[in-house]
Amino acid sequence: MVVVLFSITAIAALLVALVNELTLDTIKATEAHNKDLAKLEVLPPFDGEARYEEIGHSINDGALTINVTKISNSTDGSLVGYAVEAPSITKNGYADRIYLMVGFVETEQGTLINGVKVLSQKETPGLGANMTKEGNALERSVVGNNPSAMTFKVKKDDASGSFDSLTGSTVSSRAYANAIETAYAAYLWAKGELPTSSDAQSGATKGSQTSDDDSVAVDAESGATLTDGSNYEQELEAQKGDISNE
Amino acid sequence: MSKLQLITKGILKENPTFVLILGMCPTLGVTSSAINGMGMGVATMAVLILSNIVISLIKNIVPDKVRIPVFIVVIASFVTIIEMLMKAYVPALYASLGVFIPLIVVNCIILGRAEAFASKNGVWDSALDGVGIGLGFTLSLTAIGSVREILGTGAIFGWSFAPDVMPLVFVLAPGGFLALGYLMVLFNKIAKRK
Repeated sequence: MVVVLFSITAIAALLVALVNELTLDTIKATEAHNKDLAKLEVLPPFDGEARYEEIGHSINDGALTINVTKISNSTDGSLVGYAVEAPSITKNGYADRIYLMVGFVETEQGTLINGVKVLSQKETPGLGANMTKEGNALERSVVGNNPSAMTFKVKKDDASGSFDSLTGSTVSSRAYANAIETAYAAYLWAKGELPTSSDAQSGATKGSQTSDDDSVAVDAESGATLTDGSNYEQELEAQKGDISNE
Repeated sequence: MSKLQLITKGILKENPTFVLILGMCPTLGVTSSAINGMGMGVATMAVLILSNIVISLIKNIVPDKVRIPVFIVVIASFVTIIEMLMKAYVPALYASLGVFIPLIVVNCIILGRAEAFASKNGVWDSALDGVGIGLGFTLSLTAIGSVREILGTGAIFGWSFAPDVMPLVFVLAPGGFLALGYLMVLFNKIAKRK
């Protein structure tokens, strides 16, 4: 009896280990590939191979990650845009943080949000989870707009807010707005343009900063400073404080 | 019992959801839309067929006293292996079904069929029993999912016909109980009349 139970568990363990060994690399490659696809999905299509330049960092002792990826066309070296993977920080959804992939492009009208993809959410099906549907109210509120002219609040809370909320899910909508705000702050930080806390009120949220957005490429110098995430974290927090005090 | 009967009994006479009332936890959890219900049903069917086959093969060498632990080990290994294979080689399918796979381990339909059928019958019959019960489960979950999706969001399989006017409660947990209860009544009423 013991022998049979033991040998069956041993065979099962061996099989699971074997399959794990066989599939591990493929799974990892697929996951990385999917993430790259999500990055391209939020940016405009282009001809040629994409070149990825990770400018990632984490905050809260690594519990949260914000990844900024600069994507350029490797054929002619032109900048395609920035894909930012960002969670909601100060406001969460009903069940958990919401992770978004936000694509920023630089145009003559300044920085525009080209697309948004929900990477993970645990909102109520039929309510908050509708944020994953194409063309929902939240997506319509941001795509094609200049984030420097946006107020990261839902209209229901504050008449000046830029976000229409999803039907019956203000909490999820707030978290979505917060994640967009985080992504925009990370984008500015990656470009070395994060406003100091003193002018954050006029800068990141009110849109006096559009003129700065015309500079297209990130130079090597700003890339070098990006490894230090702690300073950015403080600034982000300070900026959040300012915004919520408004 | 003929081979065909083995399959049809899983859909009608021994329907796992409406008659045997097994696997209620995943049933209520995933049927917020028709496509989710169908996905869970199909994934369960795959595991059920495979575990039924293996258990009917090893039934003679497994002593009675340890049969339940052995069944659970077999089922859990299958689920894990299927999950890893899906993740590696059919990522598109995994993206839509992936969340349901780990739930299958705790689905008592699988253990129930292993204990009640596969451990007493031959390989072919057990495989057909897996097909039948799996189909019954898939159809029931799709039916519950459809009812909840239609009543709750005015859409079916992503095709929307009356958005924003339907009572949303059907998509939420209480609506799951309501839909399941009334469908169970309806099913048994029709089944008894035959």
